[in-house]
Amino acid sequence: MQNRTLDRGLDRALGLLPLIALLAAWQLAAAAEIYPPVLLPSPARVAMVFVTDYADVARNATASILRVMVGVSLAFVIAVPLGLLIGRYRVLDAISDWSIQIFRSVPPISLIPMAILFFGIGDKPAIILIFLAATWPLLINTIFGVRSIERTLIKVARAARASEWLIFRDVIFPSALPAIFTGLRLGIGGGWLTVVTAEMIAVKSGLGYMILNAQLTFRSELIVAGIIVIGAIGLIADQGVRALRARVCGWQEGLNVEPT
Amino acid sequence: MTPFIECYALGKTYQSKAGPVEALRGIDLTAAEGEFVCLLGLSGCGKSTLLQIIAGLEAPTTGTVRVGGAHLDGPSDKTSVVFQDHGLFPWMTVQHNVEFNMKARHVAPAERAQRAAAMLETMRLSGFAARYPHELSGGMRQRVGIARALTTNPRALLMDEPFGALDAQTRSRLQEELLAIWQRQQTTVLFVTHAIEEAVVLADRVAVFSPQPGRITATVGVPLPRPRDPESPAFVALVKELRRIVEGAGPGAAQS
Repeated sequence: MQNRTLDRGLDRALGLLPLIALLAAWQLAAAAEIYPPVLLPSPARVAMVFVTDYADVARNATASILRVMVGVSLAFVIAVPLGLLIGRYRVLDAISDWSIQIFRSVPPISLIPMAILFFGIGDKPAIILIFLAATWPLLINTIFGVRSIERTLIKVARAARASEWLIFRDVIFPSALPAIFTGLRLGIGGGWLTVVTAEMIAVKSGLGYMILNAQLTFRSELIVAGIIVIGAIGLIADQGVRALRARVCGWQEGLNVEPT
Repeated sequence: MTPFIECYALGKTYQSKAGPVEALRGIDLTAAEGEFVCLLGLSGCGKSTLLQIIAGLEAPTTGTVRVGGAHLDGPSDKTSVVFQDHGLFPWMTVQHNVEFNMKARHVAPAERAQRAAAMLETMRLSGFAARYPHELSGGMRQRVGIARALTTNPRALLMDEPFGALDAQTRSRLQEELLAIWQRQQTTVLFVTHAIEEAVVLADRVAVFSPQPGRITATVGVPLPRPRDPESPAFVALVKELRRIVEGAGPGAAQS
C-alpha cells in the first residue's frame, strides 16, 4: 500500500518533467532573443499578466467555463438517455446509425457561420456549438457502453422478472457508466476546443475573444497567458472527471488492467 | 407425486448464418414437486438451452412447457435461476445483488434488506454484505448467486452448471450445502452438469443428453441413500453405467 502511494507521487513528479523542460527551453529562447520580445515574451512577463490583468483573465475564463458547462450539460442530458435507448433497441439503432455517422463527422467549427446567421453574435451560437461538439462522443460512447454489457446480466434481470425500467436503471445504466464517463471526458475536451474557437468569431467575451483581441493590440504576453489558462483548465476538468469516475465506478477497480 | 415441471415434445431450432441448427428434438421431461433432477451431457448437447427454455428466457420452437401446472410464457414467479458464471452485478455490493430479485418483484426496501441479511447469514456470508463480487472467491460468489435465487422462495431452482468453474474441494462443499438447502426448503431442482460424479452425488434422477440434435437418451434413477459415498461400490457402479451411456451418446453413436 505504501509502495502504491509512493508510486503515485513519483508518477505526478514524472508528469511535471516535460513541462519543466518546456519552461526552461522557453526561458532560454526568450533570453537569447531568438525572436524579438514583442513576439516571444519571457516567462516572467507572462507571469506578470496574472497580476496586472488578473480581473480580465478571470472574467473571460469564467465566461468560457460557464458556456462549456451549459453546453456539455445539455449534451449529457440529451445524449445519455438517447444513447441508452439506441443501444438497447435495434429499431432505434437502425434509424439513427447512418445519421450519427454523418453528423459526427462534421466539425462543429464548420457550423459557426450557420450558427451566427441563425443566432447572431453572443452566448447562444457558442453554446449550441459546444452542445454539438459534446453530443457525439457522449452518444457514441453511451451506445458502446450499452452494447458491451455482459449478456448473462440481462438474462439474470429478465429471469428475475425485472421491469424494463428496472433493467435500464439498475443494470444497463450502471454497466454503461464507465463508457459514459469516457464520453464525458471526450465531450468536455471537444467542448473546450470548440468554445475557444467559437469565441474568436461568434462572441465578444471569453478566453478565445481575449486572445484574439490581444493579438490586435500586440500583447503577446496576454496571448501566451491565455493559452496557459486554456491548457490548465483543460487539465483540471479532465482530472475532475477522472476523480469522479473513480468514485462512482469504484467497482471497476481490480477489473481493469493497469499499465506495467 | 404431481409433476411440477413438464416438457412435452419440446424442440428448439436456431437460425444461424449457416442455416437452421436443431438444438433440441423431442424432449419429454418432468420433474416432480421436490425432486432433484440432473441434466447430464457433453457440452453442446442442448441441456443448457433446455434450462433457458424452462426458465422462460427462450421460447421453444415446438412443444409445450408447464411450470406448476401453468403454461409458460416468459420467466415464471415460481422459479429462480442460478447461472453458470454466477451472474452477479459487478457494480452492486453483495447485499444489493442479493436484494435484486426481490426488488424486481416489488418487495418493500425494509423487508428486502431484512430478508437479504437473513439469507446472507444462512449462507455464512454475513461479513461480506458490503463487499463487491470481484473481492470474493469463486465459491463465495456462487453462494451469493444461490442466496439471490432463494430470496423469492422459489418452488423450483434452475441451475446451469453452477459449480463448473470451481475447484474440486469448493465444489463438493457447495454440493453439500445445496443438498442441505434442498432438503430444508423442499424445492424442486433442475441441475445442469457435465460431471457424472456430480450428477450421482446430487440427483434423484439423471436425464442423459446426446448431441446433434439434443435429445434425452436415457433417464436413470439414483436409488442411493444420502449422504452418498463416492467410494461405495454402488456409487462407482452407477457412475460407470452413466459414463457408458454418456459416451455411447457421443457424436457418431447414432450411426453405429
